[in-house]
Amino acid sequence: MKRTLPFIIIIVVLALALGSAWYLTRAIPGSPTLGSQSPANSATSPASTAQRPPAMQGVPGAEPPHVLGPAAAPAKLEEFGDFECPPCGLFHPILKQMKEEFGDQLQVTFREYPLVPAHQHALAAASAAEAAGLQGRFWEMHDLIYEHQNDWKKEFDVRPIFEGYAKQIGLDIQRYQQDVSSDAVSQRIFMDGKRGHSMGVKGTPTVFLNGREVPFESLAPEKLRVVLQNELRNPEK
Amino acid sequence: MKKLYALAALVSLFGLADALYLTIEHVTGQSVRCTIVSGCSEVLSSRYAVFAGVPLAMIGAAAYFSVFSLATLAAFGYRIARALLVPLVATMFLVTIWLIYLQAFVIEQFCQYCLLSAAITFVLSVILVLIYGLHRSQKSV
Repeated sequence: MKRTLPFIIIIVVLALALGSAWYLTRAIPGSPTLGSQSPANSATSPASTAQRPPAMQGVPGAEPPHVLGPAAAPAKLEEFGDFECPPCGLFHPILKQMKEEFGDQLQVTFREYPLVPAHQHALAAASAAEAAGLQGRFWEMHDLIYEHQNDWKKEFDVRPIFEGYAKQIGLDIQRYQQDVSSDAVSQRIFMDGKRGHSMGVKGTPTVFLNGREVPFESLAPEKLRVVLQNELRNPEK
Repeated sequence: MKKLYALAALVSLFGLADALYLTIEHVTGQSVRCTIVSGCSEVLSSRYAVFAGVPLAMIGAAAYFSVFSLATLAAFGYRIARALLVPLVATMFLVTIWLIYLQAFVIEQFCQYCLLSAAITFVLSVILVLIYGLHRSQKSV
């Protein structure tokens, strides 16, 4: 028995490790498991639409939200993003491409979800975008901040950089400087964060399509395209 | 000495749990998403997180499981396991130094789970050094 006991212990630990890994990969919604269909394929299967989780409502976010596309669009995509988050920066051109491809069928909403203190400049970036939003130029600032993410994220003081972007998009600089640290801007970021919490957002980017979370691994362009096409074919409310 | 091998086995279980968690995060794509835990997405989505197409966390899990197996066998008196444990932990130690260097100077971000794994490897190294010291003193007596 003494000769075999260590092997029994090793086999039990191996079984526990593999079993817990299998259980946890199954437990994460939308995560691929070994031998399962890819998310893109599963998105097209009729069975997947029958198993779709109910749409999330959440508490209201900042009003009015930053929206691109018509309110009547059958596919409404809501992104919770952090300007300093590298995957959000990578997702930015993907979402732009999808908006171009799907046109008026897709409405995009951006919600602030700065991950403080993980990202030291995330709040400043969100404030800059919201301050631009108060002058009706949110999306221009949003695009500039994301497109130049690598230029500012390692800087010590980002305020002059964002002010430079504000000048570039033609903002009233005096008003921008007042707005960027205003209660109105802080309140908008707080409200979006509150909405994110109520919808179970834990990281960025988190994307909801008609209220249902799109699995992170489906945010690659070829997969997101299929998810959107499927949503337009089966506009389940 | 047997108690120290048993302790090494126990410590390696924590390393296995940590590496398994990171592997699951990697395989499911969750690690790539930014979270409130600073630095992990930057570290785990970097090109250094994969070696020859295999997630580094998965290699770490395999290494910790090997340490657990060898330390368990060593605690039960298997000499070959004792001999194999030293080069394995030494390799893990060197790889850990390299990974800390990458986090500090190349990626410039630290992931707490990776640092926990590094701490566990350092503890394992200390245990093996203690075992080696005990072994030498027993030999000299």
